Amino acid sequence: MITFEQVSKRYGERLGLDSVSWHMDEGECVVFVGHNGSGKTSLLRLITHEIQPTSGTVTVGTFRTGHVSRGQRALLRRTLGIVYEDFRLLADRSIFENVALAVRIAGRFADEEVIPRVMYALEEVGLQLKQSSFPAELSAGERQRAAIARAIVNRPAVILADEPTGALEARSAADVIALLKRIHGEGAALLAVTTKQHVADAIGGRCLHLDDGRLREQSAIPQAAEAGA
Amino acid sequence: MHLFFFRESWRSFLQHRGLATTAIFSLTAALTLCAMFVLLTHNADYALQLIGDRREMMVYLRDDVNDTRREELMGRMKELYGSVSYISKDDAWKELETQIGDPQLLEAVGENPLPAALRVRLKPELLNFPAMKQVAEQVLAFPEVEDVRYGADWVRRLDELTTGLRRGALLVGLIVAVAIVLVIYNTIRLSVLARRPQVEIMSRLGATHYFISAPFVIEAIVQAGVAAVLALGILYVIKQALVSQVWKVVFIPIPYAAMFVAATVALASLAAVLALSRVMRQVGR
Repeated sequence: MITFEQVSKRYGERLGLDSVSWHMDEGECVVFVGHNGSGKTSLLRLITHEIQPTSGTVTVGTFRTGHVSRGQRALLRRTLGIVYEDFRLLADRSIFENVALAVRIAGRFADEEVIPRVMYALEEVGLQLKQSSFPAELSAGERQRAAIARAIVNRPAVILADEPTGALEARSAADVIALLKRIHGEGAALLAVTTKQHVADAIGGRCLHLDDGRLREQSAIPQAAEAGA
Repeated sequence: MHLFFFRESWRSFLQHRGLATTAIFSLTAALTLCAMFVLLTHNADYALQLIGDRREMMVYLRDDVNDTRREELMGRMKELYGSVSYISKDDAWKELETQIGDPQLLEAVGENPLPAALRVRLKPELLNFPAMKQVAEQVLAFPEVEDVRYGADWVRRLDELTTGLRRGALLVGLIVAVAIVLVIYNTIRLSVLARRPQVEIMSRLGATHYFISAPFVIEAIVQAGVAAVLALGILYVIKQALVSQVWKVVFIPIPYAAMFVAATVALASLAAVLALSRVMRQVGR
């Protein structure tokens, strides 16, 4: 599903990623752990084709770096569900509208299907009663759950989570992790990046360590299968 | 989906009221100037058309031309150049009497010296200086014709004035077209940059270029359309309140006004598309 082959990414003199190779299967759960600047976000941006590798190849489904037009890039992103550390919700829209935007962008559903889909996603993350609220009126945990609702509303094959608990206090973080595990359990592949080992342990799945742009080690966490089941 | 784009456009307008209002006022000012020139040109054209309709050619006949030859000549000229009417020597004298109005002066002239003539109302396509000159040369070649008069200098000046006004209108139109493109280009660019976070998020969610651009293009079309209608409204008020008091002015016909609005909207769409294709390369990666 996602394959990195000898991928390097250079930012001027600095090497963001250094000959990284890994593969992720459909429905799998992979967590990258690394300190700030280790290359985690570069990795996600390479998957979403926001940036191109300096060398090597990134393949996501049938999309391969170097052969992706602007239209195909948009199509690729519509097959992914992305959760950001800073939520990236639109401040001038209600939670309902934020989630509905993703449905409209997908362009696969008729107008009358938008409301039920959005409501179902909001129910899944427990925000059905907050649908009319604006992001500024919600707690950080609620905002992250709204961002997750937006990521899952189109039932993507892969959820990418960039430091999903980074801005949350312990209890909200636990709620978000539980939510991500549940979504993964329902069949979606989950790729998360985090600076915290305990978050990776809580999410479960295959854990990969990034250090200064290099892939150090791989450890399969046995709970992954259980978590996904 | 289309309704969604209009809602997005309205949302953008509300969020950036200042920017949108400035754009509408700037465009209105430029378009009012352009519309004034269109009005001026249209009225000059209208006046010239009225004058031009009266442009005629006097063909003076030799005294020895009999009725048969004259009829043949009239038939030939009608076929080639337009409607022809005959003015006999007596009719010409009567016209002169009417014009001068003092019988004593005419008594001094004695015998009627005026030649018989043909008055030719030229076909519309011949109502320009080069064509009239050519017709005069051809008519003069007929053996029955003594002389041809058509006010060559006056006709030439009339044609030059018409051409000058049309060129002026074209020049002002071009300048205003560039102004429209620049105003809309920069407005849309600033609007996209002001909504950069939103555009970035939409791009990350997989929105196509069309999906992101459509509301901005609608916004540009609405701004330009409103500005064009406002400009025509201002022009109408000016025409009613000021100009009509001084001399008779006809307003721009509805088809011209519709073309004016349509051309403005088309230019605004072009400017918006150009601005978006550039700014989206920076923002919508």
